[in-house]
Amino acid sequence: MTDPDPLLSVDNPFSTRCVKPGAIAYLFPPGEDPAALVERLRRNAWWGQLVGPHGSGKSTLLATLLPMLELAGRRPLCFALHDGQRRLPADPARSSTVDAATIVIVDGYEQLSRWNRWRLKRLCRRRGWGLIVSSHGDAGLPHLMHTTVEIERAAAIVGRLLGAEQGLIGGDEIAQCLARHRGDMREMLMELYDLYEERRRGVMS
Amino acid sequence: MNDDAIHIRFDGNGRIYHPGETLSGEYWLEPIDTNEVRAMEISILWHTEGKGDEDISVHEFQRVAVEEQTGEPSACRGRFSTVLPNSPLSYEGQLIKVRWCVRLRVFLRGREIVGQHRFRLGNVPPARIPKP
Amino acid sequence: MAPAFLGGTSLSAAKGVASWPHAHYFVPGVPPSSGGGAILARVFRVYQKKRGHRLTGSRTVGSAGEAVLSAAFIVMGCVGFTLLLKLLVIPEWRVNHEFVPQRCTVRDTYVGASKNSGGTLYRPEIEISYRVDDTTYTVRTYDIHFGTGKEYSSSLDDVQAILARYVKGREYPCWYAPTDPKAVVLVRGYSWWIWLTFIVPLSFVIIGGRGLAFRLLHLGTSAERRSALTRQAGRLDLFDNGNGAHRKYPSIPDCSGITDSPGTVLAYRLPIHSSPAWFLFWLGASCALWNAVVWVFAAIAITDYQEGHPDWKLTISMVPFVLAGIGLIAYWIRQILLANGIGPTLAEVSHHPLMPGERYDLFISQAGRLRLKSLAVLLVSEEQATYRQGTNTRSETRRVYQRELFRRDNFEIPRGTPLEVRCPLEIPARAMHSFKAEHNEVGWKIVVEGTSLGWPHYERAFPLIVHPCNGDAPA
Repeated sequence: MTDPDPLLSVDNPFSTRCVKPGAIAYLFPPGEDPAALVERLRRNAWWGQLVGPHGSGKSTLLATLLPMLELAGRRPLCFALHDGQRRLPADPARSSTVDAATIVIVDGYEQLSRWNRWRLKRLCRRRGWGLIVSSHGDAGLPHLMHTTVEIERAAAIVGRLLGAEQGLIGGDEIAQCLARHRGDMREMLMELYDLYEERRRGVMS
Repeated sequence: MNDDAIHIRFDGNGRIYHPGETLSGEYWLEPIDTNEVRAMEISILWHTEGKGDEDISVHEFQRVAVEEQTGEPSACRGRFSTVLPNSPLSYEGQLIKVRWCVRLRVFLRGREIVGQHRFRLGNVPPARIPKP
Repeated sequence: MAPAFLGGTSLSAAKGVASWPHAHYFVPGVPPSSGGGAILARVFRVYQKKRGHRLTGSRTVGSAGEAVLSAAFIVMGCVGFTLLLKLLVIPEWRVNHEFVPQRCTVRDTYVGASKNSGGTLYRPEIEISYRVDDTTYTVRTYDIHFGTGKEYSSSLDDVQAILARYVKGREYPCWYAPTDPKAVVLVRGYSWWIWLTFIVPLSFVIIGGRGLAFRLLHLGTSAERRSALTRQAGRLDLFDNGNGAHRKYPSIPDCSGITDSPGTVLAYRLPIHSSPAWFLFWLGASCALWNAVVWVFAAIAITDYQEGHPDWKLTISMVPFVLAGIGLIAYWIRQILLANGIGPTLAEVSHHPLMPGERYDLFISQAGRLRLKSLAVLLVSEEQATYRQGTNTRSETRRVYQRELFRRDNFEIPRGTPLEVRCPLEIPARAMHSFKAEHNEVGWKIVVEGTSLGWPHYERAFPLIVHPCNGDAPA
């Protein structure tokens, strides 16, 4: 099933499909691993917060944790908040899938109004549910992990995406790109998309 | 994305097709326990790739329910044929790529596997950034 | 078991960790184009957010929930339908088909009244006497709805007009129920308003039926199958005006907005991408509202000062608001001057839609009283991609083709004498056609850009639709 047309066989490894949260596994820093995080959650009655700046991998980390939570016998109920959403798009209490093992996961927790944050915490406390949030700052929950992006891990992720084409983008370029975007991995990957396109077309022509 | 058990082959040269042409070919599963196969869905579709979120649209779709316990290898083969539409043509842009493919989704007991084979519709050259 | 997603983004599991189905996301009210899930409240959303609530649930349970909701709508609709039939239609039908004709004598007429929170309602009451077998009955009646509460009307004049038709002591036809002779009416026929009441239960049945059919069709379906079903549904457009161009060229924007607009010089007038008119209107409305509120408080402060007891706190706090109001007025006036000063730009083409490799005529007219350093007319193609960036949605645009069709430098456009330009327009052979999907778009447009002395640089865009050519065009 080989494809003779070069245009058809080349995918930009930095396209949305390849870099969206969950498409690539979160690369844990030394000393951290998913099992340790799950254990930390278990000790805190399944409550915890992931804190980190923009583009540091919070959504990706949540996606990586989900199957581990399922294996631990929990039932994740996920919300992702965008663009100033001040309330949850649905009432978790009315979901047909909740039970005592539910963990409510809110990505972008700081978008919620103070009142809705209080309501959510109260709901989870009353029902005995877990609560995991991602936020840019302290959300008042037990600390789970602080996400950051170091150049070594960024380079490893880019290397993983490039695969056999690692030579197309050098380590120095990755470091400069990351510095330009002040550690925002997402913005860096968007810029690398354009760089890859430019280089690939140059190689092909 | 492509599972090794799924094979798709186009009739003809399988390179570039044009609107109004007939795209045809065959598909088969190998190696696979045919008793596990519950159903197969063959789709001829286009999807976008690039910086934007993915869009997808199916041009032709066929679902084949495989009889249980047939054990017949022939139950896991088939052919497809469709007249290709006028648009959208395959496109290799800067931010957006439009890609056509034949996709086979096989429903097994408890899981599903997917394989696809791309083809080009039309002959639009890749987009280049204009000089300022 | 896959995790449940509500308002979820693509938090699909990482590859290699577990084989979860991908989490998918939706714009409420729009069938998912990629992936799927169950949305309980989707049908109630009145609006769509471009950024969207991503509301996914456990697919099976959520689908079942939606099916139950749709079924509930159908049940409510059927119950309502049945009740209306039983309480309104059937009684009138029985009067017209089963009641026995008789003669009666009118003894007296009355206006019945009923007071409620909305006011007083009236009904006609005609006291009649009639004989059935050996029994004489004396009852007050009018029509079959008499005594049910539905006979009341708010119009006293209408009720009196009915009563005027019945003269005391005179005989009139009446009809009585064979099983209960006391049930008698003076009028038969069908009330027209009854049929309007069926709209409500019928709409419940339609909403529920549609939702149930959608759910059943999509239960346990793959992304490709859902997309195929959506396309099939799209083909069943009851309001299709017969213009099949959209189906002949899928994913290409409809060009009726252009072909419906004739030009004065060439065949078609191109619409401008964004007219300043609405912007000026809303800016003016905002300006008026802001200044109205601010000047009310300013008037209070001024009056207090004139009366000798100035409120300095109010006065000082009003200053920034007054300044902002004045700034807003100045900005609005400037925008009006810009729009009028630069003058309207018109664009017309000889054919539409356009095809790669073909040659057309383009006409541009630029009005205004301008001294221009340069004026250029460009043919441009741009890609636009929309994607999620964390908690934001972003759009990025990239110009992938640009060609100058006309240019003139250092000239004047006097008032009343617009610059008129006619030039050839050619779409490159094998160029990509116009393409529009939910998150991605390839568009073509004519751009008129001018740099004038005394005014800021301006740019006006006129979208074009380019269709694909059939087969390979010559390179």
